Amino acid sequence: MNAEGLESFRDFVDSRSSALLKTAVLLCGGDRHAGEDLLQNALVKVAGRWQRIDEPEAYVRRILYRQQVSRWRLKWPGREVSVPEPPEVGAPGTDAAAATELRLVMRQALSRLTARQRTVLVLRYFEDLPEADVARLLGCSVGTVRSTTHRSLARLRTLAPELAALGPADAERLAARDYSPVEVRP
Amino acid sequence: MNVDELLRDALREQAAEQTPATAGFADRVLAVRRRRGNRRLAAAAAATAAVVVAVAVPLLDSGKQDVRPSGGGIVVEKKDVKAHPDQSPPREEISAGGTTLAGYSLAETVEKSADTAVYQRTYHLLNPKTGKYAKAADWSWVAVAPGMKTAAVLEQDLPASRIGLLDLTTGKVERWIPVDHGVGGLAFSRDGRKLVATTYGKNPDLRVRTEGSDDWGQEWTSSRTGFYVLDVASGKGAWTEVKLASDPDDPMGGTFLNTRQDFALATDGRHVWSGNPMGDIGKQFYDFTGKEVPVPAGDKYLSWSVDAGRSPSGKLVAGDFAGKKWKTSSYVLDAATGAKTEVHGQQLLAWVGDKQLIAWDIGKDDKNEFHNRLVLVTVGSDKTVPLTGFREGNDGAAGRWDPLFAQP
Repeated sequence: MNAEGLESFRDFVDSRSSALLKTAVLLCGGDRHAGEDLLQNALVKVAGRWQRIDEPEAYVRRILYRQQVSRWRLKWPGREVSVPEPPEVGAPGTDAAAATELRLVMRQALSRLTARQRTVLVLRYFEDLPEADVARLLGCSVGTVRSTTHRSLARLRTLAPELAALGPADAERLAARDYSPVEVRP
Repeated sequence: MNVDELLRDALREQAAEQTPATAGFADRVLAVRRRRGNRRLAAAAAATAAVVVAVAVPLLDSGKQDVRPSGGGIVVEKKDVKAHPDQSPPREEISAGGTTLAGYSLAETVEKSADTAVYQRTYHLLNPKTGKYAKAADWSWVAVAPGMKTAAVLEQDLPASRIGLLDLTTGKVERWIPVDHGVGGLAFSRDGRKLVATTYGKNPDLRVRTEGSDDWGQEWTSSRTGFYVLDVASGKGAWTEVKLASDPDDPMGGTFLNTRQDFALATDGRHVWSGNPMGDIGKQFYDFTGKEVPVPAGDKYLSWSVDAGRSPSGKLVAGDFAGKKWKTSSYVLDAATGAKTEVHGQQLLAWVGDKQLIAWDIGKDDKNEFHNRLVLVTVGSDKTVPLTGFREGNDGAAGRWDPLFAQP
């Protein structure tokens, strides 16, 4: 990387790393350290081809998603993520307190999904990406995205019985089909 | 409330709670990168060495090529272009204006012990007689001479103690050139008369476990020792030592080089050069005594990571990705002035005369940058001609092929 490249790389990281870190932490189920590691590794890869990339942010994001899925496959199959204790919930009995409680329950459940399941949910419900975009980013079929979403939501309900009272998401109304697994290579 | 609404709220809340990334994050990343080296740069280096090489000595008379049966596939034979847009990797000859896809390699990281592996290429070379690509598994490194008659090869287990000169028609080694210093990479001169062999103390394709990860990475220090410039006809030549800067306090030993950072002959034939990824200008030239010299005129805009290099006349230089005029485009520079124009293509791989290039490019509405195929592009034209089918998989995936070109 030449001096000009270094400068634009630094500018990019300075301006975008906080936003990227948010996604990285979510992908890691709330584990800040794992999120920082994930982002750092992605940026190291990006730095290697910095002057050949035209849309760095999209590129970093793609690496984040894929890395997260492949990292899980390689290293920590079935690993559960450690997350800090949830903060104190407001006065019991109020609606606001109940809602806060539910969000925390949801977070805990998310942290216990597999990286693949969580990545698909983060892309669909945090990044608000359509199924086709998620499929392209993860290098799998739309069918796989759909079935993984379906299964991940079902898993959340199993992990957190408190969610039973909630109505179904659109994705849950579709029948799950047996698609091939998400194929992601390191 | 539905479960997806709660999911959205929970994710947003968690994201909002994150404090900003620590100051100096970019420097942290750059420091890690320096320590680890970079696999992608290494791959590009390998490709550059193999391709920069292949230029000159006419053999293929492109105007008189026979029309061959395509074996049921799509074959496009237009003027002097042989394309197989349904084949990836190609089974039958791909060429344009005499620039020929001499072969391709498939790479994989093969574990050798708990903490070492070798980044191993399996070559498939074009037999000029049959017009088909056939596996040539004996070789760890192949450089094809201009004219597509001969290739220089190294056996497995680098660094090698001899260099083979392979007859591409018979697939047999015609002659061995023994060497005293182990060779890890080869590159022909533009006229095919000289061969530059890069010498290493260790296998330049060795990989070790990256600290704190299951990934394979390069070692921190380079084992490059120097180069031979050999006369192909006689097999004679001298070895030149190129000492690396050393610094005992630096975990990288004072020099940042990829473990494979091969030398190639400069355009003038009187110097050699190699990439120097962390250096100010990204490359370094040497005379035949191993002394560092300034960049020779005309090679100023040469970039070691762009395989196509200088055009046959030397007037133009293939440059990096541009992406301004079109979604995927690259720069072509005037070798004298550095003036830039854009040409279609993600990555410029080989010149076809002085006006055209073979490049990687994605399909028109494709969003996946890894889903690319070989195309023929023309300077000053909007037209691209597909030459092969699309490569599947992501960067670094098994089954992805890397091209090896020969000039006519």
